[in-house]
Amino acid sequence: MSDARAAIFGQLRAGLGKGDATARRAALEAALAQPPRGPQPQRPADLAARFRGRAEALSSTVDAVAARADVPAAVLRYLGARGLPPQAVATPELAGADWGALSLRFAAAVDADSVGISGCFCAIAETGSLMLLSAPETPATVSLLPETHIALVDVHRIVPTMEDAFALLRTERGRLPRAVNFVSGPSRTGDIEQTIVLGAHGPRHVHLILIGS
Amino acid sequence: MSGASQAMHFKARAGDKLADRILQGALKKAQPLFTAKRRKGMASLAADGLDFAAMRAAAQAIRQRVLDDLDVWLEIFEARAVAAGAEVLWARDGAEAARLIVELAQREGVRTVTKSKSMLSEEAGLNAALTAAGIRPVETDLGEYIVQLAQEPPSHIIAPAVHKTIAQVEALFAEAHGRPQLARTSADIPKMADEARQVLRRDFLAADMGISGANFLIAETGSAALVTNEGNGRMVTTLPRLHVVLTGIEKIVPTLEDFATLMRLLPRSATGQDISNYVSLLTGSRRDGDLDGPQKTVFVLVDNGRAGLLGGAFEPMLRCIRCGACMNHCPVYFALGGHAYGWVYPGPMGSVLTPLYTGLENALDLPHASTGCNQCGSVCPVGIPLPDLLHGLREAQNARGLRPPGERLTMRLWGWLARHPRSYRLLIRLAARYLHWLGDDDAAGRRIRIFGLAPAWTAGRDLPVGPGRSFFEQYAARKRD
Ligand code: SF4
Repeated sequence: MSDARAAIFGQLRAGLGKGDATARRAALEAALAQPPRGPQPQRPADLAARFRGRAEALSSTVDAVAARADVPAAVLRYLGARGLPPQAVATPELAGADWGALSLRFAAAVDADSVGISGCFCAIAETGSLMLLSAPETPATVSLLPETHIALVDVHRIVPTMEDAFALLRTERGRLPRAVNFVSGPSRTGDIEQTIVLGAHGPRHVHLILIGS
Repeated sequence: MSGASQAMHFKARAGDKLADRILQGALKKAQPLFTAKRRKGMASLAADGLDFAAMRAAAQAIRQRVLDDLDVWLEIFEARAVAAGAEVLWARDGAEAARLIVELAQREGVRTVTKSKSMLSEEAGLNAALTAAGIRPVETDLGEYIVQLAQEPPSHIIAPAVHKTIAQVEALFAEAHGRPQLARTSADIPKMADEARQVLRRDFLAADMGISGANFLIAETGSAALVTNEGNGRMVTTLPRLHVVLTGIEKIVPTLEDFATLMRLLPRSATGQDISNYVSLLTGSRRDGDLDGPQKTVFVLVDNGRAGLLGGAFEPMLRCIRCGACMNHCPVYFALGGHAYGWVYPGPMGSVLTPLYTGLENALDLPHASTGCNQCGSVCPVGIPLPDLLHGLREAQNARGLRPPGERLTMRLWGWLARHPRSYRLLIRLAARYLHWLGDDDAAGRRIRIFGLAPAWTAGRDLPVGPGRSFFEQYAARKRD
């Protein structure tokens, strides 16, 4: 134990004047197993519509397709309309599918990648956010370094709130990955005269493809 | 930039800041934008069926629950952060924190450090310490980058360069990026942001160490929570091989659910956004098989005066979640800007924190830098009674004999008068007549231009003239009618 640690804890305990840290710790740790939620927002009637509305308000663009099989065509359409070549870096979890005319590299992103394609763990209707988890098959850089991030969102994976996203994470994964990233639209800054500019350091364009209905 | 406080020069600086036309222009432009943003955020809260008062009560309870057992929450956080693969270091003050980080950087052969905004780094004077050790710190939040180029401290906790005009930023960029200066209008702001993006991208990729703050530390999971809009926080915590989280020991939040509650208030209070663009929870370091992320994550948890506030009258200040709403709604802040406050934290929260963290005797004016309007207290998302705490600091100054003798004598006389109503009324009668007599007539009406007993009051404004009779006299006269 460092001197600093001992000194800080000594002062904390003197200020609190509570004694018996062991018993208090047991009680607080027990309470962590049943975390209560704070005040919850109204649940929207249509989760996908709410998600889409919020995402668009955050300057993401949104497309919708009926099934996974329609995704490559939707990506090609989007890249074509933006005048971008049909190539991208993509998270390795997407490697199994048939990507047709698209030339994809399944890896972590590097600076030269201009388009990154990822899925998402789930999406949050309340704020129009994607929840991305880092893992070997879902490296975090794919949604970070490229100028354009295309994310695939299964409409069945849209949950009402951040608390619901955490509940899903607890049941499906148990523990937190190195990085949980909630991404809500393109990167932005307002640091020069409070004028909002998109594409500060992260992606300038976030394009969402909703799958299913 | 350093951890040293200049807070003793508040009054002298205030005069300079009031006379600085460029600063006054920048502040005038910024204030309505800040308040409008929060109003929008509050409207969206209401649109979701959430009541600000209820949300604030919940947020306050979460933060207070942490303070009630802060020692134990820190133990739980430490145990879980270590179990997830991070290292946890402790520092009693800013200098110790800076030393730990410099030593770590030297051991690991670090040459360039990219930084995402950390107010604790300012408390610690970390950039100066790194530079002195031959390590290059690069601030990557655009606002922080601008003030680093200007070799100034930030003037606002969430908008560090709010005091800079576009022309000043252009001059800094031209010099730092080695190009001629151009005439810029607001239409050029995207170009300027892009220029910074290109320059800083190289540093993101080259840095060996990333240093971030943490908006919160989640006890349940041992994670750092980071909230940014630019994405620089993600860069700094993903690309370099080392990640250092430098933050204060009071930043704990028990659970992910509690974090979700606070996240409904933090961005809305700060910038009016329902959510910031990037919200990251960082737990441990690169896992087996991961293709990116730092190999090593080190938390440096700093006291620097915080532990001493527990259990005392100023404990509520530790609930602060650094949203900036109090300064965004403060008439004193917008008259002077953040630099007048002389240390790391400006505005009402700074006027409370600076004397507490750097010594009452080193910031004598700050507890008085308030109009008592309580705008700050009414917008604070964790219910900190900022005006009450400022009053408490004034009382503490008085108790420690830190007020000037003249003021203490006046207060004692006032105390005596307040307990002797006859003498009080007599004096007030005389004073009312004297003040009436002092006034001059001119086209604008009757005003007191120079008030000899307290000339500072009339140095920048006139006093209105009273009716020449005390309240008691007028009351008695009306009762007779
Ligand atoms: S004191 Fe309150 S309003 Fe001011 S920064 Fe802290 S939390 Fe925000």
